[in-house]
Amino acid sequence: MARIAPRVLRSYLFGGQVLARGCLRRNPVRSPALQRYHGTQASLADTEPGPSISIPFRKQLKDEAKRRKAEGFGKKSKEDNQKLEDWELTVGIEIHAQLNTARKLFSSAASTINDVPNTHVALFDVAMPGSQPSFQKETLIPALRAALALNCTIQKTSKFDRKHYMHWDQPSGYQITQYYEPFARDGHITLYAHDGIAKEDGDRIDIGIKQIQMEQDTAKTISQPGDIHLLDFNRVGLPLIEIITLPQIHHPSTAAALVRKVQIILNSVDACVLGLQSGGLRADVNVSVRRRDGEEGENEYSGVKGLGKRTEIKNLSSFKAVEDAIIAERDRQIEVLNAGGKIEGETRGWTIGSTETRRLRGKEGEVDYRYMPDPDLGPVIIGQDLIDHLHESLGVLPDHEINILVDDYGLTTKDAMSLVSLNEGGRHEYFRDVVDELQRLAPDQDLKEAGRLAGNWVLHEMGGLSNVEVDEEDPLRITSDGDCIIPSAQLAQLVHYLDTSKITGKSAKKVLYELFSSGGSKSTKDLIDEAGLWFTPLSVAEYEELAKSILDMKVVEQILAGKDGKVNFLVGQMMRKDGDGRVDPQQAAMVLRKLIEEFRK
Amino acid sequence: MVDVHLPRSAARAAKAALRKPNPGIRTFSQNVFISRAEQEQEQEHDVAGRSKEPNPKTYSAQEPPWLADKPVAIKDNIATADLPTTCASGILQNHQSPFEASVVEQLRSIGASIIGKTNMDEFGMGSHSTNSFFGTVTNRPPFDRFSVGGSSGGSAVAVAEKLVDIAIGTDTGGSVRLPAAYSGVVGFKPSYGVISRWGVVPYANSLDTVGILAQSSEQVFKAFLSMREHDPRDPTSLSEKSRMRAFTNGREKWREVRDQNRKDFQKLRIGVPEQYNIFELDGKTRRAWQLALMLFQDQGCTIVPISLPNTEKALPAYYVLAMAEAASNLSKYDGVRYGTRSKSSDGAGDVLYSKSRGEGFGDEVKRRILLGSYALSSDAIDNYFIKAQKVRRLVQQDFDRVFSMPNPLRDPEQFDLSEMDESIPLNNKLGPSQVDLIVCPTSPTPAPNLDDIANQRPVDAYINDVFTVPASMAGLPAISVPLKRRHKDGPKFDGMQIIGQYSDDDRVITVAHELEKLLKLDDEKWSRTEGIQGQL
Repeated sequence: MARIAPRVLRSYLFGGQVLARGCLRRNPVRSPALQRYHGTQASLADTEPGPSISIPFRKQLKDEAKRRKAEGFGKKSKEDNQKLEDWELTVGIEIHAQLNTARKLFSSAASTINDVPNTHVALFDVAMPGSQPSFQKETLIPALRAALALNCTIQKTSKFDRKHYMHWDQPSGYQITQYYEPFARDGHITLYAHDGIAKEDGDRIDIGIKQIQMEQDTAKTISQPGDIHLLDFNRVGLPLIEIITLPQIHHPSTAAALVRKVQIILNSVDACVLGLQSGGLRADVNVSVRRRDGEEGENEYSGVKGLGKRTEIKNLSSFKAVEDAIIAERDRQIEVLNAGGKIEGETRGWTIGSTETRRLRGKEGEVDYRYMPDPDLGPVIIGQDLIDHLHESLGVLPDHEINILVDDYGLTTKDAMSLVSLNEGGRHEYFRDVVDELQRLAPDQDLKEAGRLAGNWVLHEMGGLSNVEVDEEDPLRITSDGDCIIPSAQLAQLVHYLDTSKITGKSAKKVLYELFSSGGSKSTKDLIDEAGLWFTPLSVAEYEELAKSILDMKVVEQILAGKDGKVNFLVGQMMRKDGDGRVDPQQAAMVLRKLIEEFRK
Repeated sequence: MVDVHLPRSAARAAKAALRKPNPGIRTFSQNVFISRAEQEQEQEHDVAGRSKEPNPKTYSAQEPPWLADKPVAIKDNIATADLPTTCASGILQNHQSPFEASVVEQLRSIGASIIGKTNMDEFGMGSHSTNSFFGTVTNRPPFDRFSVGGSSGGSAVAVAEKLVDIAIGTDTGGSVRLPAAYSGVVGFKPSYGVISRWGVVPYANSLDTVGILAQSSEQVFKAFLSMREHDPRDPTSLSEKSRMRAFTNGREKWREVRDQNRKDFQKLRIGVPEQYNIFELDGKTRRAWQLALMLFQDQGCTIVPISLPNTEKALPAYYVLAMAEAASNLSKYDGVRYGTRSKSSDGAGDVLYSKSRGEGFGDEVKRRILLGSYALSSDAIDNYFIKAQKVRRLVQQDFDRVFSMPNPLRDPEQFDLSEMDESIPLNNKLGPSQVDLIVCPTSPTPAPNLDDIANQRPVDAYINDVFTVPASMAGLPAISVPLKRRHKDGPKFDGMQIIGQYSDDDRVITVAHELEKLLKLDDEKWSRTEGIQGQL
């Protein structure tokens, strides 16, 4: 009888491709700094040609500045301010994040992001009759890391349930999720002023996390003109976690800060694959308002009582969308209530750039998901030993990291945040490598001193480098492991030469550019040799010659008349004239005073 | 006995025709099989349905495998890579599975020749094999108006008519045992999780088992051995570790197991559950039950009355659970990736797939989807689904209390005498007496008439499962052995059921084997008596 054609088999099975990248693959530990990042970090650079996922930190700062400006200059109309004095906003957030795993949640098909459609699909993924789920235990590891980083209690026993609804992107007619017994509960996340929370929230605020559950992703729908929907089942069954916060957020900017912070934390513990902007993270928010002075609301959500009727806004895919959608929905609800209307418990949508949320479906259109324990899947039992191990190897979370950078390495909070959030933490790795090398070169140097020096060069001097020939987005090519086009040892050498006056600051910048454009093929020392940039101090005769060339008799007379401060003006003139930066101000001042004294005679 | 005799050229067309419902003249074989391997169709002229010249195959082992080139039939809800897998449903009428079920792989590996896929109730939903898209499975005349039982009716008839030695069915609440009883063959449902379900299209996953139908318990046992292994692809397959613990004797040969159990046979304690002696029990069936018990007693076995107080609640609870799981399992059939699809656009009015599903499913399936969906709805789940789960636990406890062998999957439970149902007779002050096996009828009545069934309310048909459902709820091994009926009208069979503790599958089958032998002796005795009476 007819056998299955290999082509058919290929489309049902997972394309025959075996991924080398496993969640548990251990990278060789490169630096002490890397150890903090535990050995399971999968290098994204070699597996994903997809978009770079750095946190848009500059964007964050820009937004922040804009916001503060808006608040500071009171751009909001008086009417708006009046509204907010009368009404309290309450927001809860559900964040869906795609876990960083090699395989799908219930099949051994490979997790891929941008592969050819329908090439990584197992029988179970398309709900082929007679196929059964096979829980991939490894998916627990990033999920547990995320839960631990969000201070959750890991449940010893958790179970999978079926959530029924029909859609073409859901092959089995249900999504497998954890409704009755999620694997993690009762966590919290602390947001600080530097995370960009609303100023009304003060220096810090704790937001409770009700639970985190594991669940399956849906297939990707590619819509085409003429009501044609193409389906890519590569995504179906990928493991997600859904993080559900308590309704304890009262300001739109705090909500955006929470989503951003969750992303930073998930990245720092290597739990998550893609950022919000790239679709690896999606947020649903539920919004309600109540009068500050009036009666309590009648509704209770997640154990929080006295709330107004809430609406849910689904599928927000950027931090800005989270904030803007909440503002728009808050204002809409206040308007409705002020006009004597009632808020309906409904699902609403938000389009980027719009000013209003729109109704998607009301209560009457609500789906009864008919949750049922999945009869094929047994309970997931998580041993304390695994939890302990992951806890120990979790590493340092961003907040603690920032504190270390500020307290021990002498950086400003702003610089510390930049370091932590750039290049998926790679910039920070690189920084630590440079500092380690500096400490080796100058063992007596204070760590704060070395930290400040390295921080200045790694963030600010290197931040200014760009090259038209190299990828504009990431000219330095810093990986999440801390590799860079400029080897850390060479940068440390350069900083060390500068710090010990072997070269001048101006020369150092030149050498940095050379290191950058030569792509790390030449050493710092060779480059200085070639360009003859070694700093040789000026001789006394050279100082005198230089001093004489700039002496202005008017100024000399003023100095002789007692305006001693004018000496510094002349020193500055000398330094400017030299151009190579070799003039030592103290030496110059000494020579100048000697010459001026001669005039007195 | 010749049913279908097709020249090669017509075989393909015939096969295609077999997939379509045929309201006109349908041959007997077309009622039994939904699709057949072409090769076997041509060789069907052999009376026994066996190929006269089996394919010369080479076997590496010195001894050819037990099933070498023997014809085997597979219920059509079990995936095969060469034949369609329709589940007797319109929505899968042309479905060709891209993979093969573990049990089919296992049977092929011991030489079995899969000759066809047997007709059944759509997705296993029915007790008489009347709910098939391809038409009702019928007995041969003159008994063609009597139910063959369901849902594995095609598999049972294939064995009864000696078209195959072994047929594979599935048993969720009695779907192997009931047709075995109605068709006069042996039907075995193993402990849950012992035979792999990979490739078996689920009806209700937590209850589904792959069962075996054969002429004799010995054949059942041999087939069981070849399929009894852990399968990592089935998440509910009993683990290697649990198997080591549960099947401690680890005997792999029929003779060893049989001889061992034969030694202990006289010490056997056989339980008779008083709750099974119901008002609806057919008088002749009750007499058959008495006969079986007498035969055991004559051999020295002890007959012990026992009480399973939650038996009455088991049937409604079973239907709630099975329908809930079924409604969930059937949500995948939308015509998008496989199966039939309505020709018109299917997304109008915010209701997706209502046309494809409406056209694809039969009435009984639709009924169970609705009932199952209701049982899971947020308003009803507490009163139906959750309650039914609790009843299931009670039914399991009933069995654990009466079996002397502890349930290897559960910690031993202390049963508080004060909480025990009053109906349970106490053996002594330590508690009720315990038994090795339970013997009871497979069904309260012999095979009913199809015309009567047609006039029944749907719920009435569910009553047939009353004796088979408890073992399914508890995941226990159970076998139905045919007893000849001593009256003239209707098929002359009653099914006698032997139920054992979880993992006691071997003993269940070997005791069935002993019963078969005793019945045979008894039949001979009875025939002689009848003969003498005839002479008088």
